[in-house]
Amino acid sequence: MDGFKKRLSESVQLRLSVSLSLAILIVAVLAGVFAFVSAFDEALEMQDNTLHQVAVLFERQQMTLAYPRSEGEIAGDDEESRVIVQYLGDGSHVPANIEAGGPLPLPATLADGLSTLTVAGEPFRVLVRTLGNGKRIAVAQETGIRDKDARESAWRGLLPFLILFPVLLLVVADLLRKLFRPIAVLAAEIDQRGEQELHAIDDKHVPAEVRPFVLAINRLLGRVAQSMDGQRRFVADAAHELRSPLTALSLQAERLAAAEMSGLARERLFALRRGIERGKSLIEQLLALATAQANATPSSAPVSVYAVYRRVLEDLLPLAELKQIDIGVEGAEDVHLALSEIDLLALVRNLVDNAIRYTPVGGRVDLSVSREQGGALLQIKDSGPGIAVEERERVFDPFYRSLGSQAVGSGLGLSIVKAIAERTGARIRLAYCDEAEQHGLYVSLWWPLATA
Amino acid sequence: MRILLVEDDPMIGEAIQGALKDASYAADWVNNGATALTALDTQHYDLVLLDLGLPGKDGLQVLGCIRARGNGVPLLIITARDSLDDRLHGLDGGADDYLLKPFDMAELLARMRAVLRRKGGAALSLLSNGVVSLDLISKQASTGEIPETQLSSREFALLQALLIRPGAILSRSDLEDRIYGWGNEVESNAVEFLIHGLRRKLGSHVIKNVRGMGWMVSKNA
Repeated sequence: MDGFKKRLSESVQLRLSVSLSLAILIVAVLAGVFAFVSAFDEALEMQDNTLHQVAVLFERQQMTLAYPRSEGEIAGDDEESRVIVQYLGDGSHVPANIEAGGPLPLPATLADGLSTLTVAGEPFRVLVRTLGNGKRIAVAQETGIRDKDARESAWRGLLPFLILFPVLLLVVADLLRKLFRPIAVLAAEIDQRGEQELHAIDDKHVPAEVRPFVLAINRLLGRVAQSMDGQRRFVADAAHELRSPLTALSLQAERLAAAEMSGLARERLFALRRGIERGKSLIEQLLALATAQANATPSSAPVSVYAVYRRVLEDLLPLAELKQIDIGVEGAEDVHLALSEIDLLALVRNLVDNAIRYTPVGGRVDLSVSREQGGALLQIKDSGPGIAVEERERVFDPFYRSLGSQAVGSGLGLSIVKAIAERTGARIRLAYCDEAEQHGLYVSLWWPLATA
Repeated sequence: MRILLVEDDPMIGEAIQGALKDASYAADWVNNGATALTALDTQHYDLVLLDLGLPGKDGLQVLGCIRARGNGVPLLIITARDSLDDRLHGLDGGADDYLLKPFDMAELLARMRAVLRRKGGAALSLLSNGVVSLDLISKQASTGEIPETQLSSREFALLQALLIRPGAILSRSDLEDRIYGWGNEVESNAVEFLIHGLRRKLGSHVIKNVRGMGWMVSKNA
């Protein structure tokens, strides 16, 4: 019950449904009671009128009375609905069977007009009238049948309400659902968006009451996009600005290497230059990440995955040779992807670079591409330690580094990969090459291919 | 060789000028576009190194002025601007090459040599990647350990194809295209056979195999 109360206070739709239903119920009950009572009264009044008319008819036609004595039944006679006409005093001295239609034993003192009496254990409605000749007649009918008729007609008056009430409830429920559907659709649309999709919400099909809300969200989205943009630009600008001093530093260190120096100094210079190299690659990776996260890279002609693999291998082969890693491409199939070449290059380069970095000396790195399930499947496997299941989400965070890893990297490679994969609609999956041994990283990327 | 260095960053300018002197070039260093144009009017240079982010007159404008005056001096852009547009503007504007900061001096010197060679139109008679050299006239190859060795014409064609761009991976079909002319029937395993022969003559480290991709000679040995 508490849950329902909570939902009631939270959901406008539920609140509207419940309060409208209650209002309809109350109105229907009130209207029903009123209709019932008035129909009942009306019916009774009609029947009283009938008694009056019988009395008037009796006087106008100057009828005389002869009470039935025989036991024989008249067709159509019904004791219960029977109208009895008699002289007021007759009941006490005319011996007759009431069941057979004889006069009722009514008190002679009864005043003119309508009254309800109990005669011989049965309630009767009696009209007493004094005729022109001074005689008084009584017109009577059992109240049982009168009430039954009145009730029946009253129930008939109530029937429309009984049918209309559930119909009205259904109509209200349906109407509310329809009215709230645009909001549900809107929520679903916003829910499905990626991190980068900060364009304004379409407010054309939104109800006027919700529009200010949508406009406010749009303004917020705009501000968020602006601030994200600013942040991205700042990273790019900062990395950019760092290039010049680092170039100077690196050039000076390079010149220093040509100078005469002791073995110790040379060793230290070597360490210094390695540090400078790291700084350089960090700056390049920061810039690459900023580029990968920016939205606009126009996709041109389909790019060959095989050609991209070749370019990346050409660049990274020296690194692999240094660690005596057997790197190569499996399978001879080539697939063309509708991606910008720069994106695909950055993506593959970072994955292969990672694979080489984390694979021990003498290891193996395999690249492949194939068509699978109506899409292009890129696979990169290495014989390194792999990534533990619980780390697989976090490794995509910038600057995240696996625990106990010796490799020196910028910590941005997989963030760049993820940014490009997300922007180009790729599904990315990390696994072990050997699930049983929990060894070797297996990265797969899948793009749907346009069916052409 | 006289080089004009246009660079506004004092640290980078000083380092490059010093390194150029170490490499036996005569290097003049100016730090803005207007001075650079004046220097070019009064002095003959064999090569210009131009930074794009200059105060006052932007590097691309300076480049435009140089080319507008009909000065065809070899010109290499060194810059921190890495967008594709900047690169295209630079190359379309008449630059001979484009080098991105941060760079190694060794690379700058190599690029300078390449530009000078291209611009000089000197016919190359020798291809080399530092490991293996190929004489294009005598069709002889040599390495540090192995003196001039005569190659067959197909071995020569294959090694030449690899040495034109050291570091580039050529697939079997790339190499077959280079070795065989139109209409020549390609024998199966011909490429492997030729590479085997070359390795026997010059040493197995000369040509590297990249699994699933092809073959290459290394770039910087």
